[in-house]
Amino acid sequence: MDENNGHDDVLVIGAGMAGIEASLRLALAGRHVHLVEESPCFGGSVIRFEDIYPNMDCATCMIAPLQQDLLQNASIDLLTLSRVEKVSGNAGKFKVRVKKKASYVSAETCIGCGMCFEACPVSLDNDFEEGMAQRKAIYVPAAGALPNVPSIDTDNCLRFKGEECNACIEACMFEAIVMDDKDEVLDLDVAAILVATGYGLMDLKPMKRFGYGKVPDVLSSVAFARLYASNGPTEGELKLRSGDAPSSVAVVQCVGREETGYCSAVCCLNSLKFAHYVDHKLPDAAVHVLHTDMCVPGKTHQRFRDKMVEHGADLVFATDVKVGKGSPGVKIAYKDGAGKAAELKVDMVVLAPAFVPSEGSKELADILGVPLDGTGFFAQGGNGGGPVSTAKEGIYVAGCATGPKGISQVVMEADMAVAAILTGTDGGVS
Amino acid sequence: MARRIGFFICECGPNIGENVDIDAVLNAVEDMDDVVLAARFGLMCSGPGKDFLKANIKTEKLTHLVVAACSPKQHELTFMEVCEDSGINPFLFQLTNIREQVAWVTKDKEEATEKTIRLAKAAIRRVRYHDPLSKTALAVNADVLVIGGGVAGMAAALRLASPERRVHLVERSSSLGGRVVAQGPIYPTMASGGEMATAMVDLVEGNDWIVVHRYSEVSVVVGFFGNFEVVVTGELEDGGTLETKVNVGAGVVATGAEVLEGKPLEDLGHGSIDGVVSSAELEAMLADGSIGGKGGKAPKSVAFVQCVGRDEVGYCSEICCMNSAKQARLLLEAAKGAKVHILYRDLCVPGRDQQAFLEGAVKAGANLVRTTSVEVGGSKGGITVSHSLGDGKAEKLMVDMVVLSPAMVPPTGTEGMAEMLNVELDPSGFLLEAHAKLEPMAAGIDGIYLAGSASGPRSVSDSIVQAEACAGRVLSSLIPGRTIEPEIRVSHILETLCTGCQTCLEVCCYGAIVYDPMKNVSHINAAICRGCGNCVAACPSNAISLYHFTYKQLYQEIVEAIR
Ligand SMILES: Cc1cc2nc3c(=O)[nH]c(=O)nc-3n(C[C@H](O)[C@H](O)[C@H](O)COP(=O)(O)OP(=O)(O)OC[C@H]3O[C@@H](n4cnc5c(N)ncnc54)[C@H](O)[C@@H]3O)c2cc1C
Ligand SMILES: Cc1cc2nc3c(=O)[nH]c(=O)nc-3n(C[C@H](O)[C@H](O)[C@H](O)COP(=O)(O)OP(=O)(O)OC[C@H]3O[C@@H](n4cnc5c(N)ncnc54)[C@H](O)[C@@H]3O)c2cc1C
Ligand code: SF4
Ligand code: SF4
Ligand code: SF4
Ligand code: SF4
Ligand code: SF4
Repeated sequence: MDENNGHDDVLVIGAGMAGIEASLRLALAGRHVHLVEESPCFGGSVIRFEDIYPNMDCATCMIAPLQQDLLQNASIDLLTLSRVEKVSGNAGKFKVRVKKKASYVSAETCIGCGMCFEACPVSLDNDFEEGMAQRKAIYVPAAGALPNVPSIDTDNCLRFKGEECNACIEACMFEAIVMDDKDEVLDLDVAAILVATGYGLMDLKPMKRFGYGKVPDVLSSVAFARLYASNGPTEGELKLRSGDAPSSVAVVQCVGREETGYCSAVCCLNSLKFAHYVDHKLPDAAVHVLHTDMCVPGKTHQRFRDKMVEHGADLVFATDVKVGKGSPGVKIAYKDGAGKAAELKVDMVVLAPAFVPSEGSKELADILGVPLDGTGFFAQGGNGGGPVSTAKEGIYVAGCATGPKGISQVVMEADMAVAAILTGTDGGVS
Repeated sequence: MARRIGFFICECGPNIGENVDIDAVLNAVEDMDDVVLAARFGLMCSGPGKDFLKANIKTEKLTHLVVAACSPKQHELTFMEVCEDSGINPFLFQLTNIREQVAWVTKDKEEATEKTIRLAKAAIRRVRYHDPLSKTALAVNADVLVIGGGVAGMAAALRLASPERRVHLVERSSSLGGRVVAQGPIYPTMASGGEMATAMVDLVEGNDWIVVHRYSEVSVVVGFFGNFEVVVTGELEDGGTLETKVNVGAGVVATGAEVLEGKPLEDLGHGSIDGVVSSAELEAMLADGSIGGKGGKAPKSVAFVQCVGRDEVGYCSEICCMNSAKQARLLLEAAKGAKVHILYRDLCVPGRDQQAFLEGAVKAGANLVRTTSVEVGGSKGGITVSHSLGDGKAEKLMVDMVVLSPAMVPPTGTEGMAEMLNVELDPSGFLLEAHAKLEPMAAGIDGIYLAGSASGPRSVSDSIVQAEACAGRVLSSLIPGRTIEPEIRVSHILETLCTGCQTCLEVCCYGAIVYDPMKNVSHINAAICRGCGNCVAACPSNAISLYHFTYKQLYQEIVEAIR
């Protein structure tokens, strides 16, 4: 394998569930993998959740061992803060240019003690926590994020604004901070490319009817997931802006489904999971799940729904949902199953926004020379290939990069892509 | 040879160094039995730290090593490698975690020091009783058994078969192709299912590396990942049977799903009212042209009833909403202007393309009706379908045909299959995955994989994705010519103590233990055992012991820690 000088190396773009699974499997088969991830930590969306439906597996317990394996695997180069800039060539011999942004912290010497960020004088909203907590200019997105090595956000660090500051350098006992770190350009030869760039969530603000950004205590699904997380901004306490615990929570489904024209496949289940969250942390609080179709496909998910109903979740058929200020709390106006106007008053509303293509999908598709489909996700199965193939031989795609789906399906697609890469054929039969 | 134990404590910069009184720890352990050296270092995991260890192992002729540092997750392997490089068996080593478990959590320095001393002493006491262990390598058989010749089984076989890897494809019926081979257009592409499956059958039959066993079932599977022994039992024309033994390294179960029959359908007039059919029956009529298409009849009004048997089985079958949308489109193509109602509870159209497909059916004229309960009755002019709307009001439809969408259920024989393979069933009666999220294509037994509807209802395309995922797993871990190194920290049974009670068989989740009735003792297959220790705790005769976690080792460690 080593005879062809790394020419059977594989480039994997995106280190979420799909990218991690595929990289580990390819490495096991003896392939060398370059895993390119744009954010400072890896794991994708899953690391923001505490639990995973339907079995309420602890997300960290699920993914951390895989992350550890990956970090210790000599056949996988994890390139964080990196982006693919240029791709040329064909299947079997692609030339790829990757730009790796400087992190200003040496991964070799840093032990992840966190002294530097305690010392840093700059505080700003932490995107990872949906702005519900602050971080420093030198930071890791959340406790437990891997690799456990901070990086400097050059947009906010004082030194990069021309001001004097040595706080982090002085705080670090390991001389791990390297202010003369440079962006790197890597030129790679790879035989195959796997796109695993995941998804984004629909911007809630333009959909004025849901009150997001205007009505207090109206949250996005991810914000609610972070509130519940023990490494999140409230260390797992479900709290209103006032600091009180909510006595009632409504989860609104299918937010943005009309706009996108598709069902995002995981939001019903995710909302049932939220019902479980409330039941677990605030057993006396009421939970309403406002849905159109309750989409619980497959052999296990209905049981999960039934269990949540047993635990008191109130499933409400609702269309034409409008969210506004109540006094106090939040008021939801909707049409019920008979089409009649109805109303619900709660302390907190959680909106489940539709999945949309991840930011930068278009740019990456252009770099790779593969098409997106009408919805903006990566198009599958060009040339009669299977669901993980693209229009270009040797370039594959897996996970939510092609559309909304849950983790099981993401993992299966990753392994299907592995099969295609290892045998060198698209093998599309359907 | 006398034991010569070296104890090393890592400062981890200020992490441990500032929170624990390291000299006090060194003082406390240096006089312990067999300890010939107790030393400290700034960063033990660094290059200079490892060189420091190696140099001391050499000059002090150490036989055992104890390191007090960070979590074993982080650096156990690092230090085991140092041992190997220095000629010490890596199992004559113990790492004790005094960073995450002491320095970072115990704020009082005196307490932290006391705790570190206890942990260090416990590790030293324990390492004295360690035994050297050595890895074994087993040659693997790369061939694969695939059970079930539907699209899933065929997709897995086609992906896996190669000159280095023979595939045995076992199909119990007379022909390959499964359910799809008899299907007309399939959603969402509307390409012919029959043509697609037939093309796959041709590829399988023309593949020199796939051995097809028709009219056959698998009757015995024993062994472990890399080395399974299988017996395939075939039915002969004269009514006799033929047993064929095959050896494989892995197995893929692709036995599909069946359509529910019986009471839930009968309650809705199936079998008693003319014109009430199941979706599977309509599928056959659409495929053979007796309904729809050119020359076939076409009903003028049809009601699809969704979720038939859903409450009874307790799950949503995932494919029937889409299938009814498809069948509605086909009926509307055949009879323009026909009235087609789809009576549904929740529309299940998850994913990027599904809703658009359903909307296509609506555009073609299908009428989607959300309903909470449905009754079907016969009458002179047709069939009456009464159903209640969301608001509790009832509505009555008169139609020529009623199509029931029954639940998909596990195929007959699933229980026996599960028992033979030692795979569990889930509450729905389908084969259970090793992990619903991380290993949805694998069964709980290493080397046994699940493809297609065998582990739950799935569309054709999802069945193929899962089959290919099985192939991905096999291709990446069962590589011709490679060996596998089974876990060595496993359990073994002392025959002289075993009374043959078989308690251990019940608690082993991996099926690693077999009972030998001739000798009246149980035996653990080391290649299957994962070293979980369940059996050790369960054995009433103390006959089982786990390498590297023996009673003696644990006892000595605990005694020292709580002294
Ligand atoms: C609130 C919520 C809760 C959920 N809960 C569950 C649950 O309980 N169970 C379940 O099964 N599913 C759940 N899901 C769905 C689950 O998150 C997805 O199925 C899964 O995370 C998708 O994995 P992925 O690898 O495809 O994408 P992602 O996890 O999105 O990973 C993509 C990775 O690619 C990186 N990336 C993106 N673009 C680029 C680029 N151009 N260059 C380099 N890197 C890039 C991203 O930074 C990211 O790390 C939930 C989803 C939401 C929104
Ligand atoms: C009415 C209907 C319409 C459908 N329409 C569509 C559609 O339009 N689009 C779509 O995507 N999906 C559709 N489906 C679903 C589709 O049929 C399944 O996805 C597909 O059949 C799954 O393939 P499989 O290989 O897993 O199982 P199967 O096709 O069921 O094949 C299983 C095979 O295993 C064999 N077998 C079973 N037990 C044993 C045993 N013990 N030993 C040996 N062999 C065994 C069987 O004989 C069979 O050949 C439809 C299903 C139904 C019921
Ligand atoms: S230089 Fe100052 S501002 Fe910049 S990261 Fe370090 S401590 Fe923060
Ligand atoms: S850079 Fe230095 S101070 Fe910051 S976490 Fe790493 S080792 Fe600690
Ligand atoms: S797919 Fe549709 S018809 Fe089938 S059980 Fe689910 S909701 Fe009911
Ligand atoms: S539990 Fe103990 S005594 Fe009983 S069969 Fe197993 S090893 Fe023998
Ligand atoms: S240690 Fe665990 S896996 Fe091994 S035989 Fe005992 S119960 Fe089974």
